[in-house]
Amino acid sequence: MDIMIRVPPSLKQWFDGSDETSCHGETIGGCIGNLTDRFPGLKDRLLDEEGNVSEAIIIFLNGDNINTMEGQTTQVKDGDEISIIPLAAGG
Amino acid sequence: MIIDDQRSHFIFIYHPKVYHGKRYTVYNGKDLTNGEILQYWGKWIVLGERSWLDEMARKLDMYVEEESVPCVKYDRTPSVNLGVEECVMMVYCDKRQREDVWKILQQLGVKFKAWVSERETMEMWVPGARLFEQWIASQDFDEVTIEAIREDARQSLGHVFDHPDDIFDPWKQ
Repeated sequence: MDIMIRVPPSLKQWFDGSDETSCHGETIGGCIGNLTDRFPGLKDRLLDEEGNVSEAIIIFLNGDNINTMEGQTTQVKDGDEISIIPLAAGG
Repeated sequence: MIIDDQRSHFIFIYHPKVYHGKRYTVYNGKDLTNGEILQYWGKWIVLGERSWLDEMARKLDMYVEEESVPCVKYDRTPSVNLGVEECVMMVYCDKRQREDVWKILQQLGVKFKAWVSERETMEMWVPGARLFEQWIASQDFDEVTIEAIREDARQSLGHVFDHPDDIFDPWKQ
């Protein structure tokens, strides 16, 4: 499944200088796994040591915080959009 | 109406009615209660350089004047002390009208879709919450001031959570 991921300009270095990329997965967690396989070092930015989403970021699926859904097990589908921002940008 | 007061970290866009005692936290002509704020109020997040957000503000002012968008605020400078490297604009509205507001933002070129509810925001800014403590740590406050700030936050935010039927009063920023 083709999912679009967007980050703010300040986080372009996560995706080799692009503020958007696509990924594949059945869930948010699957998409994160797909991304961390492709972009070395990304895992430490997105996940904590226990594999939970880092407290330093907020992840949105089609505009909604995944914490208001099923977190990393939230299902995704073709055409969905994931956005990631630093925590403080949401405050 | 764009309000650019150098004493504030934020630049605001309000409808002029707020200077006549009217609130912008309104849905279908009715002032929202604290409970309704927690249930329905929130903002679309827009991130970018100050110059681009200034341009966005000039365009959004028209929509605030016609009351299609209730209120906007954005950073004068990035909150680098909180780990944010670009300026953040918050386009406020009731969740029940948020897709109409999103369409406006899309037409203005916003692609990044991120909605944060006011409940989520308040939960980030109660004493002990990560963002609140991060901000406190980034300032050069003495202990007396820190405790006063904590108490003020407890009272302001606590009032919203504890008095759901009261009409919501936005606080000065």
